[in-house]
Amino acid sequence: MSDHERWAREIEVELDGDLTLAEQAALARHVAVCPTCAGTRASHLELRASLARASGHPRAKIIPRQVLRGRTLALLTLLAALAGAGGGWLAHARWGGPGSGGLEASRATIDIR
Amino acid sequence: MAWQGPAARLTYGVRVLLRNGADTSVVGTGEVTGPMETGLRLGVHSDSTDVDMLLNTFPEPDSFTLSGDFVATRLAGASRRGLPVYEQDEYRRHRRLAWTDTVRLHPFGTPRARARRELWVELRVTTAAAGGITRPSERVDLRDSTFDLTLEAVARPRRATVLLALVRGDAGSVPLQVDLVPDGIPRTLDLAVDPALPHHFELRLTPPEPARTARERALALDADVVCLRLNEPGSTTAANVLCGRLNNVARRLALPGGDTLVATFVWPAAR
Repeated sequence: MSDHERWAREIEVELDGDLTLAEQAALARHVAVCPTCAGTRASHLELRASLARASGHPRAKIIPRQVLRGRTLALLTLLAALAGAGGGWLAHARWGGPGSGGLEASRATIDIR
Repeated sequence: MAWQGPAARLTYGVRVLLRNGADTSVVGTGEVTGPMETGLRLGVHSDSTDVDMLLNTFPEPDSFTLSGDFVATRLAGASRRGLPVYEQDEYRRHRRLAWTDTVRLHPFGTPRARARRELWVELRVTTAAAGGITRPSERVDLRDSTFDLTLEAVARPRRATVLLALVRGDAGSVPLQVDLVPDGIPRTLDLAVDPALPHHFELRLTPPEPARTARERALALDADVVCLRLNEPGSTTAANVLCGRLNNVARRLALPGGDTLVATFVWPAAR
Protein backbone atom coordinates (compact mmCIF):
# COMPACT_ATOMS: atom_id res chain seq x y z
CA MET A 1 0.00 0.00 0.00
CA SER A 2 1.45 3.34 -1.00
CA ASP A 3 1.67 6.31 1.32
CA HIS A 4 -1.17 8.12 -0.47
CA GLU A 5 -3.41 5.07 -0.30
CA ARG A 6 -2.79 4.78 3.44
CA TRP A 7 -3.70 8.47 3.94
CA ALA A 8 -6.74 8.06 1.71
CA ARG A 9 -7.98 5.29 4.08
CA GLU A 10 -7.33 7.60 7.01
CA ILE A 11 -9.38 10.33 5.28
CA GLU A 12 -12.31 7.90 4.88
CA VAL A 13 -12.11 6.92 8.53
CA GLU A 14 -11.93 10.59 9.53
CA LEU A 15 -15.04 11.43 7.51
CA ASP A 16 -16.82 8.52 9.20
CA GLY A 17 -15.93 10.15 12.52
CA ASP A 18 -13.82 7.25 13.75
CA LEU A 19 -10.40 8.86 14.11
CA THR A 20 -8.89 9.76 17.48
CA LEU A 21 -7.79 13.35 18.07
CA ALA A 22 -4.12 12.35 17.71
CA GLU A 23 -4.85 10.62 14.37
CA GLN A 24 -6.87 13.66 13.21
CA ALA A 25 -3.92 15.92 14.07
CA ALA A 26 -1.49 13.68 12.13
CA LEU A 27 -3.84 13.65 9.14
CA ALA A 28 -4.22 17.47 9.24
CA ARG A 29 -0.45 17.91 9.29
CA HIS A 30 -0.09 15.60 6.24
CA VAL A 31 -2.95 17.17 4.25
CA ALA A 32 -1.46 20.65 4.81
CA VAL A 33 1.71 19.61 2.94
CA CYS A 34 0.25 17.06 0.44
CA PRO A 35 -1.86 18.55 -2.38
CA THR A 36 -2.83 15.01 -3.62
CA CYS A 37 -4.29 14.03 -0.24
CA ALA A 38 -5.95 17.44 0.11
CA GLY A 39 -7.62 16.82 -3.28
CA THR A 40 -8.63 13.30 -2.19
CA ARG A 41 -10.17 14.67 0.97
CA ALA A 42 -12.07 17.33 -1.01
CA SER A 43 -13.34 14.65 -3.47
CA HIS A 44 -14.55 12.43 -0.63
CA LEU A 45 -16.31 15.35 1.01
CA GLU A 46 -18.00 16.34 -2.26
CA LEU A 47 -19.07 12.73 -2.89
CA ARG A 48 -20.57 12.47 0.59
CA ALA A 49 -22.30 15.81 0.21
CA SER A 50 -23.85 14.57 -3.07
CA LEU A 51 -24.99 11.33 -1.41
CA ALA A 52 -26.51 13.27 1.49
CA ARG A 53 -28.41 15.54 -0.91
CA ALA A 54 -29.60 12.56 -2.96
CA SER A 55 -30.93 10.83 0.14
CA GLY A 56 -32.85 13.92 1.20
CA HIS A 57 -30.52 15.01 4.03
CA PRO A 58 -28.56 17.99 2.61
CA ARG A 59 -27.67 19.20 6.11
CA ALA A 60 -26.35 15.84 7.36
CA LYS A 61 -22.98 15.94 9.12
CA ILE A 62 -21.99 12.36 8.56
CA ILE A 63 -22.98 9.40 6.36
CA PRO A 64 -22.48 6.22 8.35
CA ARG A 65 -21.03 3.27 6.53
CA GLN A 66 -23.25 0.19 6.23
CA VAL A 67 -21.02 -2.39 7.74
CA LEU A 68 -22.13 -5.99 8.28
CA ARG A 69 -19.44 -7.80 10.14
CA GLY A 70 -19.01 -11.53 9.56
CA ARG A 71 -20.19 -12.46 13.03
CA THR A 72 -23.35 -10.33 12.72
CA LEU A 73 -24.09 -11.83 9.32
CA ALA A 74 -23.72 -15.37 10.69
CA LEU A 75 -26.03 -14.52 13.61
CA LEU A 76 -28.66 -13.08 11.31
CA THR A 77 -28.46 -16.14 9.02
CA LEU A 78 -28.88 -18.44 12.01
CA LEU A 79 -31.86 -16.44 13.29
CA ALA A 80 -33.47 -16.54 9.85
CA ALA A 81 -32.96 -20.31 9.60
CA LEU A 82 -34.40 -20.83 13.10
CA ALA A 83 -37.38 -18.62 12.30
CA GLY A 84 -38.01 -20.57 9.09
CA ALA A 85 -37.74 -23.94 10.82
CA GLY A 86 -39.94 -22.79 13.70
CA GLY A 87 -42.53 -21.37 11.34
CA GLY A 88 -42.54 -24.59 9.32
CA TRP A 89 -42.94 -26.66 12.47
CA LEU A 90 -45.83 -24.50 13.68
CA ALA A 91 -47.48 -24.56 10.26
CA HIS A 92 -47.16 -28.36 10.08
CA ALA A 93 -48.58 -28.73 13.58
CA ARG A 94 -51.48 -26.45 12.71
CA TRP A 95 -52.26 -27.32 9.12
CA GLY A 96 -50.50 -30.63 8.68
CA GLY A 97 -48.68 -31.79 5.64
CA PRO A 98 -48.40 -34.65 3.23
CA GLY A 99 -47.50 -37.12 6.00
CA SER A 100 -44.27 -38.25 7.51
CA GLY A 101 -43.86 -41.53 5.64
CA GLY A 102 -44.40 -42.65 2.09
CA LEU A 103 -47.91 -43.25 0.77
CA GLU A 104 -47.28 -46.94 0.22
CA ALA A 105 -46.18 -47.38 3.85
CA SER A 106 -49.55 -46.09 5.07
CA ARG A 107 -51.54 -48.48 2.87
CA ALA A 108 -52.96 -51.80 3.98
CA THR A 109 -51.06 -55.02 3.36
CA ILE A 110 -52.25 -58.60 3.09
CA ASP A 111 -49.82 -61.18 4.53
CA ILE A 112 -50.09 -64.88 5.10
CA ARG A 113 -49.48 -65.89 8.68
CA MET B 1 -62.66 -70.24 -13.71
CA ALA B 2 -66.07 -70.10 -12.06
CA TRP B 3 -66.98 -72.04 -8.97
CA GLN B 4 -68.46 -75.30 -10.32
CA GLY B 5 -68.80 -77.39 -7.17
CA PRO B 6 -71.95 -78.16 -5.20
CA ALA B 7 -73.82 -75.23 -3.63
CA ALA B 8 -71.63 -73.95 -0.84
CA ARG B 9 -71.63 -71.20 1.67
CA LEU B 10 -68.71 -68.89 2.27
CA THR B 11 -67.68 -67.73 5.73
CA TYR B 12 -65.26 -64.95 6.66
CA GLY B 13 -64.02 -65.37 10.22
CA VAL B 14 -62.52 -62.09 11.49
CA ARG B 15 -60.44 -61.33 14.55
CA VAL B 16 -58.99 -57.86 15.15
CA LEU B 17 -55.96 -57.78 17.44
CA LEU B 18 -54.01 -54.94 19.01
CA ARG B 19 -50.46 -55.27 20.30
CA ASN B 20 -49.47 -52.62 22.80
CA GLY B 21 -45.88 -53.21 23.86
CA ALA B 22 -45.69 -56.84 24.92
CA ASP B 23 -49.44 -57.22 25.46
CA THR B 24 -51.73 -58.38 22.70
CA SER B 25 -55.49 -58.07 23.12
CA VAL B 26 -58.49 -58.87 20.97
CA VAL B 27 -60.26 -55.69 19.86
CA GLY B 28 -63.18 -57.49 18.28
CA THR B 29 -64.32 -60.60 16.50
CA GLY B 30 -66.93 -61.25 13.90
CA GLU B 31 -68.19 -63.51 11.19
CA VAL B 32 -69.86 -62.92 7.88
CA THR B 33 -71.41 -65.74 5.95
CA GLY B 34 -73.41 -66.02 2.76
CA PRO B 35 -73.52 -67.45 -0.75
CA MET B 36 -70.21 -68.04 -2.52
CA GLU B 37 -70.27 -64.62 -4.16
CA THR B 38 -70.61 -62.86 -0.80
CA GLY B 39 -68.09 -60.17 -0.06
CA LEU B 40 -66.99 -58.78 3.27
CA ARG B 41 -67.18 -55.04 3.88
CA LEU B 42 -64.90 -54.35 6.80
CA GLY B 43 -64.31 -51.01 8.45
CA VAL B 44 -61.67 -50.21 11.05
CA HIS B 45 -61.89 -46.69 12.42
CA SER B 46 -59.44 -45.03 14.79
CA ASP B 47 -59.23 -41.42 15.99
CA SER B 48 -57.26 -40.30 12.95
CA THR B 49 -57.82 -42.92 10.25
CA ASP B 50 -60.83 -44.67 8.77
CA VAL B 51 -60.11 -47.70 6.62
CA ASP B 52 -63.01 -49.33 4.80
CA MET B 53 -62.46 -52.29 2.56
CA LEU B 54 -64.46 -54.65 0.43
CA LEU B 55 -62.93 -58.12 0.34
CA ASN B 56 -64.02 -60.62 -2.29
CA THR B 57 -62.93 -64.15 -2.98
CA PHE B 58 -62.44 -65.76 -6.35
CA PRO B 59 -62.36 -69.53 -5.66
CA GLU B 60 -60.36 -72.08 -7.58
CA PRO B 61 -60.25 -75.81 -6.84
CA ASP B 62 -57.22 -75.77 -4.57
CA SER B 63 -56.93 -72.10 -3.68
CA PHE B 64 -58.61 -68.77 -3.94
CA THR B 65 -57.68 -65.20 -4.68
CA LEU B 66 -58.52 -62.62 -2.07
CA SER B 67 -59.15 -59.23 -3.61
CA GLY B 68 -59.56 -56.09 -1.58
CA ASP B 69 -60.75 -52.63 -2.56
CA PHE B 70 -59.61 -50.17 0.07
CA VAL B 71 -60.81 -46.66 0.85
CA ALA B 72 -58.75 -44.94 3.54
CA THR B 73 -59.51 -41.54 5.03
CA ARG B 74 -56.62 -40.17 7.04
CA LEU B 75 -56.45 -37.00 9.12
CA ALA B 76 -53.84 -34.85 7.38
CA GLY B 77 -53.97 -31.71 9.50
CA ALA B 78 -56.19 -28.69 9.94
CA SER B 79 -57.33 -25.89 7.71
CA ARG B 80 -56.49 -22.22 8.31
CA ARG B 81 -59.85 -21.95 10.03
CA GLY B 82 -59.03 -24.81 12.38
CA LEU B 83 -61.17 -27.47 10.73
CA PRO B 84 -59.77 -30.97 10.20
CA VAL B 85 -58.42 -31.78 6.74
CA TYR B 86 -58.52 -35.39 5.55
CA GLU B 87 -56.87 -37.20 2.66
CA GLN B 88 -58.76 -39.99 0.92
CA ASP B 89 -56.89 -42.84 -0.66
CA GLU B 90 -58.33 -45.63 -2.81
CA TYR B 91 -56.38 -48.66 -3.89
CA ARG B 92 -56.65 -52.37 -4.50
CA ARG B 93 -54.77 -55.40 -3.22
CA HIS B 94 -54.77 -59.05 -4.41
CA ARG B 95 -53.35 -62.16 -2.81
CA ARG B 96 -53.60 -65.79 -3.85
CA LEU B 97 -54.12 -68.06 -0.85
CA ALA B 98 -54.65 -71.69 0.08
CA TRP B 99 -57.96 -72.49 1.78
CA THR B 100 -56.09 -73.35 4.96
CA ASP B 101 -54.24 -70.04 5.14
CA THR B 102 -54.93 -67.44 7.77
CA VAL B 103 -54.50 -63.94 6.43
CA ARG B 104 -52.96 -61.15 8.46
CA LEU B 105 -54.18 -57.82 7.18
CA HIS B 106 -52.59 -54.58 8.39
CA PRO B 107 -55.23 -51.92 7.66
CA PHE B 108 -52.99 -48.99 8.64
CA GLY B 109 -49.94 -50.31 6.78
CA THR B 110 -47.10 -52.55 7.88
CA PRO B 111 -45.88 -51.19 11.24
CA ARG B 112 -42.30 -50.04 11.69
CA ALA B 113 -39.87 -52.49 13.26
CA ARG B 114 -39.86 -50.78 16.68
CA ALA B 115 -43.50 -49.71 16.76
CA ARG B 116 -45.09 -50.17 20.18
CA ARG B 117 -48.65 -50.31 18.86
CA GLU B 118 -49.76 -52.54 16.05
CA LEU B 119 -53.26 -53.38 14.94
CA TRP B 120 -54.03 -56.16 12.51
CA VAL B 121 -56.95 -58.22 11.26
CA GLU B 122 -56.78 -62.00 11.16
CA LEU B 123 -59.00 -63.37 8.45
CA ARG B 124 -59.93 -66.96 7.74
CA VAL B 125 -62.07 -67.90 4.75
CA THR B 126 -63.89 -71.23 4.82
CA THR B 127 -66.65 -72.93 2.87
CA ALA B 128 -69.40 -75.29 3.96
CA ALA B 129 -72.52 -76.85 2.48
CA ALA B 130 -75.21 -74.27 1.83
CA GLY B 131 -77.99 -76.06 3.69
CA GLY B 132 -80.71 -74.12 1.93
CA ILE B 133 -79.73 -70.77 3.48
CA THR B 134 -79.90 -68.00 0.90
CA ARG B 135 -79.44 -64.74 2.73
CA PRO B 136 -76.13 -63.49 4.09
CA SER B 137 -75.70 -63.05 7.81
CA GLU B 138 -73.20 -61.21 9.97
CA ARG B 139 -72.10 -61.08 13.59
CA VAL B 140 -69.70 -58.69 15.26
CA ASP B 141 -68.47 -58.50 18.85
CA LEU B 142 -66.50 -55.33 19.69
CA ARG B 143 -64.48 -55.50 22.91
CA ASP B 144 -62.40 -52.29 22.74
CA SER B 145 -64.39 -49.09 22.37
CA THR B 146 -61.36 -47.03 21.27
CA PHE B 147 -61.71 -48.63 17.85
CA ASP B 148 -64.82 -48.82 15.77
CA LEU B 149 -65.20 -52.05 13.86
CA THR B 150 -67.89 -52.73 11.28
CA LEU B 151 -68.52 -55.97 9.42
CA GLU B 152 -71.11 -56.31 6.71
CA ALA B 153 -71.98 -59.02 4.26
CA VAL B 154 -72.11 -57.80 0.69
CA ALA B 155 -74.13 -59.90 -1.70
CA ARG B 156 -76.02 -58.89 -4.78
CA PRO B 157 -79.40 -60.62 -4.59
CA ARG B 158 -80.08 -63.27 -7.19
CA ARG B 159 -83.76 -62.77 -6.50
CA ALA B 160 -85.80 -60.66 -4.14
CA THR B 161 -89.18 -60.97 -2.48
CA VAL B 162 -91.40 -57.93 -2.89
CA LEU B 163 -94.46 -57.45 -0.68
CA LEU B 164 -96.99 -55.21 -2.39
CA ALA B 165 -100.16 -53.56 -1.25
CA LEU B 166 -102.30 -50.72 -2.49
CA VAL B 167 -103.74 -48.23 0.02
CA ARG B 168 -106.13 -45.32 -0.15
CA GLY B 169 -106.86 -43.54 3.09
CA ASP B 170 -107.64 -46.20 5.67
CA ALA B 171 -108.57 -48.84 3.10
CA GLY B 172 -106.05 -51.27 1.64
CA SER B 173 -105.83 -54.09 -0.84
CA VAL B 174 -104.98 -57.68 -0.05
CA PRO B 175 -101.15 -57.79 0.24
CA LEU B 176 -99.36 -59.77 -2.42
CA GLN B 177 -95.94 -61.37 -2.28
CA VAL B 178 -93.94 -61.87 -5.47
CA ASP B 179 -90.48 -63.27 -6.06
CA LEU B 180 -88.62 -61.36 -8.73
CA VAL B 181 -85.23 -61.80 -10.39
CA PRO B 182 -83.24 -58.63 -11.16
CA ASP B 183 -83.32 -58.03 -14.91
CA GLY B 184 -85.71 -60.97 -15.19
CA ILE B 185 -88.97 -61.42 -17.05
CA PRO B 186 -91.65 -58.83 -16.13
CA ARG B 187 -94.59 -60.03 -14.05
CA THR B 188 -98.16 -58.77 -14.20
CA LEU B 189 -100.54 -58.60 -11.27
CA ASP B 190 -103.76 -56.96 -10.18
CA LEU B 191 -104.15 -54.90 -7.03
CA ALA B 192 -107.34 -53.19 -5.97
CA VAL B 193 -108.56 -51.19 -3.03
CA ASP B 194 -112.00 -51.20 -4.58
CA PRO B 195 -112.60 -54.61 -6.25
CA ALA B 196 -114.63 -52.88 -8.91
CA LEU B 197 -111.61 -50.77 -9.98
CA PRO B 198 -108.54 -53.04 -10.11
CA HIS B 199 -105.09 -51.75 -11.13
CA HIS B 200 -103.19 -53.90 -13.63
CA PHE B 201 -99.45 -53.62 -13.07
CA GLU B 202 -96.45 -54.87 -14.99
CA LEU B 203 -93.53 -55.28 -12.58
CA ARG B 204 -89.87 -55.57 -13.33
CA LEU B 205 -86.92 -55.65 -10.95
CA THR B 206 -83.70 -53.95 -12.06
CA PRO B 207 -80.36 -53.14 -10.47
CA PRO B 208 -79.92 -49.52 -9.38
CA GLU B 209 -78.18 -46.86 -11.42
CA PRO B 210 -74.36 -47.05 -11.27
CA ALA B 211 -72.92 -45.56 -8.10
CA ARG B 212 -72.01 -41.89 -8.38
CA THR B 213 -68.89 -41.73 -6.26
CA ALA B 214 -65.72 -43.80 -6.42
CA ARG B 215 -66.12 -44.71 -2.73
CA GLU B 216 -69.61 -46.09 -3.31
CA ARG B 217 -68.33 -48.08 -6.30
CA ALA B 218 -65.27 -49.44 -4.48
CA LEU B 219 -67.24 -50.53 -1.41
CA ALA B 220 -70.32 -51.66 -3.40
CA LEU B 221 -72.56 -49.67 -1.09
CA ASP B 222 -75.53 -50.29 -3.37
CA ALA B 223 -75.07 -54.08 -3.57
CA ASP B 224 -78.39 -54.92 -1.90
CA VAL B 225 -80.38 -52.17 -3.59
CA VAL B 226 -83.00 -53.12 -6.16
CA CYS B 227 -85.37 -50.97 -8.16
CA LEU B 228 -88.95 -51.88 -8.87
CA ARG B 229 -90.23 -50.51 -12.16
CA LEU B 230 -93.95 -50.70 -12.61
CA ASN B 231 -96.27 -49.45 -15.28
CA GLU B 232 -99.86 -50.05 -16.13
CA PRO B 233 -100.22 -51.69 -19.57
CA GLY B 234 -101.81 -49.31 -21.99
CA SER B 235 -100.82 -46.29 -19.94
CA THR B 236 -98.90 -43.57 -21.72
CA THR B 237 -97.13 -42.35 -18.59
CA ALA B 238 -93.53 -43.30 -17.87
CA ALA B 239 -92.83 -46.26 -15.59
CA ASN B 240 -92.80 -45.54 -11.87
CA VAL B 241 -89.54 -46.49 -10.16
CA LEU B 242 -89.09 -47.35 -6.50
CA CYS B 243 -85.61 -48.24 -5.26
CA GLY B 244 -84.60 -49.58 -1.88
CA ARG B 245 -82.50 -52.01 0.11
CA LEU B 246 -83.64 -55.52 0.96
CA ASN B 247 -84.18 -54.48 4.54
CA ASN B 248 -87.88 -55.09 5.24
CA VAL B 249 -88.76 -51.38 5.19
CA ALA B 250 -92.05 -50.40 3.56
CA ARG B 251 -91.66 -47.77 0.85
CA ARG B 252 -94.51 -45.75 -0.57
CA LEU B 253 -95.12 -44.61 -4.11
CA ALA B 254 -97.98 -42.26 -4.96
CA LEU B 255 -99.86 -43.34 -8.07
CA PRO B 256 -101.93 -41.17 -10.41
CA GLY B 257 -105.52 -41.43 -9.30
CA GLY B 258 -104.96 -41.13 -5.57
CA ASP B 259 -103.83 -44.65 -4.63
CA THR B 260 -100.49 -45.33 -2.93
CA LEU B 261 -98.45 -48.44 -3.62
CA VAL B 262 -96.57 -49.80 -0.61
CA ALA B 263 -93.62 -52.03 -1.52
CA THR B 264 -91.34 -53.86 0.87
CA PHE B 265 -88.13 -55.50 -0.37
CA VAL B 266 -86.87 -58.51 1.59
CA TRP B 267 -84.40 -61.32 1.09
CA PRO B 268 -86.16 -64.48 -0.14
CA ALA B 269 -86.95 -67.08 2.48
CA ALA B 270 -84.79 -70.20 2.64
CA ARG B 271 -85.85 -72.98 0.33
